Amino acid sequence: MKLRPPQLPEEPPPGPTRPGFWRSPLRGPWLTSLLGSALLPLVIVCAVTGFLSQAAYDPSLGGNSLLPRGGLGIDIYFFSWPTSPAFLYALTQGLHVTTGLIAIPLLLAKLWSVMPKLFEWPPVRSIAHLLERASLALLVGGSLFVFLTGLLNIQLYYPWPFRFLTAHYYGSFVFLAAFALHVGLKLPTVLRSFRERGVLRPLRADLRHTAAEPYREGTTAPLEPEAPTMSRRTLIATVGAASVGAGFMGAAQAIGGPLRSLGLLAPHSTQVSDGPNGFQINKTAESVGIEPSQTGRGWRLKLAGQSRAELTRDQLLAMPQRTYDLPIACVEGWSTTQAWTGVRLRDLAAAVGVDDTDQVVVESLQSAGALRKVTLSSGQVADERSLLALRVNGADLSPDHGYPARVIVPGAPGVHCTKWVSSMQFEAA
Amino acid sequence: MGRLRATYGASPLHALAVIASFAVAGYGFLRIAESPSALGTFIWFAAAIFAHDLLAFPFYSTLNLIAHRSLVKPSDEWLETRRVPAINHLRVPTILSAVSFVIFFPLILGLSSTKYMEYTGQSADVFLGRWLGICGALFLGSALIYAIRLRRAGGSPGEPEPTGS
Repeated sequence: MKLRPPQLPEEPPPGPTRPGFWRSPLRGPWLTSLLGSALLPLVIVCAVTGFLSQAAYDPSLGGNSLLPRGGLGIDIYFFSWPTSPAFLYALTQGLHVTTGLIAIPLLLAKLWSVMPKLFEWPPVRSIAHLLERASLALLVGGSLFVFLTGLLNIQLYYPWPFRFLTAHYYGSFVFLAAFALHVGLKLPTVLRSFRERGVLRPLRADLRHTAAEPYREGTTAPLEPEAPTMSRRTLIATVGAASVGAGFMGAAQAIGGPLRSLGLLAPHSTQVSDGPNGFQINKTAESVGIEPSQTGRGWRLKLAGQSRAELTRDQLLAMPQRTYDLPIACVEGWSTTQAWTGVRLRDLAAAVGVDDTDQVVVESLQSAGALRKVTLSSGQVADERSLLALRVNGADLSPDHGYPARVIVPGAPGVHCTKWVSSMQFEAA
Repeated sequence: MGRLRATYGASPLHALAVIASFAVAGYGFLRIAESPSALGTFIWFAAAIFAHDLLAFPFYSTLNLIAHRSLVKPSDEWLETRRVPAINHLRVPTILSAVSFVIFFPLILGLSSTKYMEYTGQSADVFLGRWLGICGALFLGSALIYAIRLRRAGGSPGEPEPTGS
């Protein structure tokens, strides 16, 4: 059965539906195959690290899952997020944001290369063709939506009515489902292109030797190509430079150190100030409504376990102090390693009679926000580098870094390193 | 089997793959549909396609066409008469500046500057200057390379090459 409604003419109407409309001599299956092959590993790494980020929140504990309740239960992860290596989340989330940034120029170039397909004639040839085109709408919409929401989120810009996390996370299901189908359906075309023209051979041709791919009906190779004004290698080098530049911005704020200030457009590329507390801040004390009166001499850390205790900051400072170099790694892909000093979480558990902790619920002074209260796992409490930090780089914590006390756990997402801690409730195993 | 292929237009494996893909995508849509601002999410999803395919693509294609028409001679022999084409010295820095703008426009335009200041304790004012600096460096670099290439080619743009070599 041919799905060709009688009112549609065999001949396409004038305009972009005519094959002669598309004149670029560079468009063709080989170019699209090369861009697609570059995108494939980036999307895989970006997707895997994205799902790992959800796992890093230990969503099965307490109220840690930030996704809406319900669903098929496939949003629950069956392993506890490890504490080693300490840079684990800095690595996975740095990769997530950086691979996403690298992919964007390639994605835009790939969309340019396949644009004639949007106007192919007849619009629908068969049921299979119709479904494939519907899936392509999900692929284009899904990729643009997921990359755009991610991009705006790392720049703290939220012009939309929805919750970022829900939309980005479930939008990626739509994108990745369409992406997987697309890879499967197009693999033969990619392999044929590479077999016929070589994987990289067309990049050797300079402008004088650049020729259009031979026209074949149903492909993006042009019917009436214009004389080339740019070689394929110049095009690929330009797209590659855009990708490398964007990726460098991401890597600079993830790796930090002297590299950070070179990531000129990266959201966390500058030092806040000089001094021990001058490193990057995710949320200032003022932004979450912490009043100086709450953190002054009247502040007490409330501990609960087999017994209860209330400790002043001086009492905490009198306990055995440990110092470790540990990273704060933000979900937005930036991180910074500092020397934290404080009391081990397991010592605090022992202070209220819990020797073997199953989990601990940490609460902040901040009055609102999904992450004012988080649950840490037994493994996180057991790691001797997990601290209730009182000092950083030899100085008292600043208000913006969580004074009087904050949690720091190796390998954990920054938002699980609760600032302005008010209470900790240890549950025995 | 042959009948299915004729009715459907592809192999049964194709049909199975499409169904599997739609099932997973459907799950994503379903979870979004259950969220409080489902309609807004779907509108943004559709608007993303519209904005790229029917606004951004025609816009940058038209810019390219204008550059092409004004810098490249219509004849096929332009390569012979202009050994050093100017157009790519304009295209490459334009593409790189535009893509960096597309990626970082909220910071460059200061669209989230209030929230950025509130959250990070820093001003977002620096990004516009930095981006302009990057653009300036790209165009300047491109112009320098163009000048060097012109000098090497031993002529000015548009000047016919000496023949008989």
